[in-house]
Amino acid sequence: MTAPLSALRPVHVIGVGVHPYQKPSDTPYTALGVHAARAALADAGIAWTEVETAYTGTATTAMGMSRLMYRHLGSTGIPMAQVENASASGSTAFRQACIDVAAGIAEVAIAVGVDKPLKFGMPGSAAGLHDLVGSRVAPFTHFALLANRYLHDHGATPEQFAMVAVKNSRNGALNPNAQRQKARTLDEVLAPPQISGPLTRLQCCPVGEGAAAAIVASDDAVRGLGLDAGRAVRVLSSASRSEIIYRGENFDAALTRETTAVALADAGVTAADLDVVELHDAFTVEELLYIEAMGLAAPGKAAAELAEGQFDIGGRVAVSASGGLLSMGHPIGPTGVGQICELTTQLRGEGGERQHPGARVGLAHMVGVGAVCVVHVLAAP
Amino acid sequence: MRIAAHDGLYDAADDPPRLRGVRCADCDAVAFPPFAIGCEVCGSEAIAPAQLAGAGTVHSVATVHLHGGKDIAAPFTIAEIQLDDGPLIRATLVDVVEADAIGARAEARWCVTRVDDDGNEVVEPRFAVKA
Repeated sequence: MTAPLSALRPVHVIGVGVHPYQKPSDTPYTALGVHAARAALADAGIAWTEVETAYTGTATTAMGMSRLMYRHLGSTGIPMAQVENASASGSTAFRQACIDVAAGIAEVAIAVGVDKPLKFGMPGSAAGLHDLVGSRVAPFTHFALLANRYLHDHGATPEQFAMVAVKNSRNGALNPNAQRQKARTLDEVLAPPQISGPLTRLQCCPVGEGAAAAIVASDDAVRGLGLDAGRAVRVLSSASRSEIIYRGENFDAALTRETTAVALADAGVTAADLDVVELHDAFTVEELLYIEAMGLAAPGKAAAELAEGQFDIGGRVAVSASGGLLSMGHPIGPTGVGQICELTTQLRGEGGERQHPGARVGLAHMVGVGAVCVVHVLAAP
Repeated sequence: MRIAAHDGLYDAADDPPRLRGVRCADCDAVAFPPFAIGCEVCGSEAIAPAQLAGAGTVHSVATVHLHGGKDIAAPFTIAEIQLDDGPLIRATLVDVVEADAIGARAEARWCVTRVDDDGNEVVEPRFAVKA
């Protein structure tokens, strides 16, 4: 008999920490990751010696990188491993940490996403696959094709895509950990350079470096370590799926729809219950597509509702309150864990200037090349 | 003579261009680019080559200003073409077009990407959108 995460032992996020996302620098990945892990330990109020297992979300740095990093917190001999799942690496590391606690393998587990943009090996080239377009199609052109199809299907305008970046830049300007700290106007977002299709530079996420850490724990650990249950954010569900053959329907959106539906059902909530959502807005068009795929807006309606402010902090549901991938940044391994950090902060009511009022239920979503999708639903203490 | 710019994706001797795909003998799924390891729909190993006509409908387009290709100068337009013979493929268009081309018919024609040292034309299929 199988069971979803929600049917196993309760899992709580007890501590989160971030190293600011930034342009590539001389800072070693070890320093980035340890900074985030120490911040998460301090936030939880526990010592490193309480952590029983560690998963490192990473895709672009180096093999076997966990132990070289965690040793700077003290060598405790705990199991540790890298989790690579493209853009969803951090989300998958967090899922593994949750599974260990839910299954009773560990009372306290940590997921650290950390990366520097050192090497980007794509699976198709490793497999010796080639097509008619090759490197003429970069990732942003994949999404530019989606953007123009969305324009065609829904009569949307390039300005409506750009409004996503305007909103997320406004949120990112309130986030000290964001790589892009400037609030941008519509004219600034639409300004050249044009990259591909309707996408301009500020409609594409920056890929830099950084780290994010989340510590999860069982009920027993929260009690036994004397932690404040009022700051422990419950992980209601974890869902992960891979692409199937959709025959005409866009796979990024279809995979998001399926995976989100599983995560919401396991959590016992509906899309209408969501207060804060962090999603894979690597390119502006994606936020509109995924808002609709998640059921937060009817097909073709996300752009208009975004323009009305429904997805602002303080709106119907705050989408990308952190600034999202577009403004907080997308250093690959950290990104999915960073979403958990943002949701945890929001659901505790500790978001400061970025706080979405009354945030009770949050959802984190990442897709990764392959394609894979990972979704978590979290609830306020 | 004409030489194919890509190995295994088409035969430069064809006129007009056709594409080399595969068809699954068990579930009839058609795929391009071709592969031999197993069908991505049903897992069958019974995969046979299939010639696909270079004709279809424009599903989407994107005019590219930034890219990593070495053999073409931007801007150019990439299209997703829903082939009449099944697969949704990506190809370069002959002309730069905008999103209003979505839904139009398109057909492949040979384009010379370069001339090699022996004077051979190195060609690839690009698609022309029909008005």
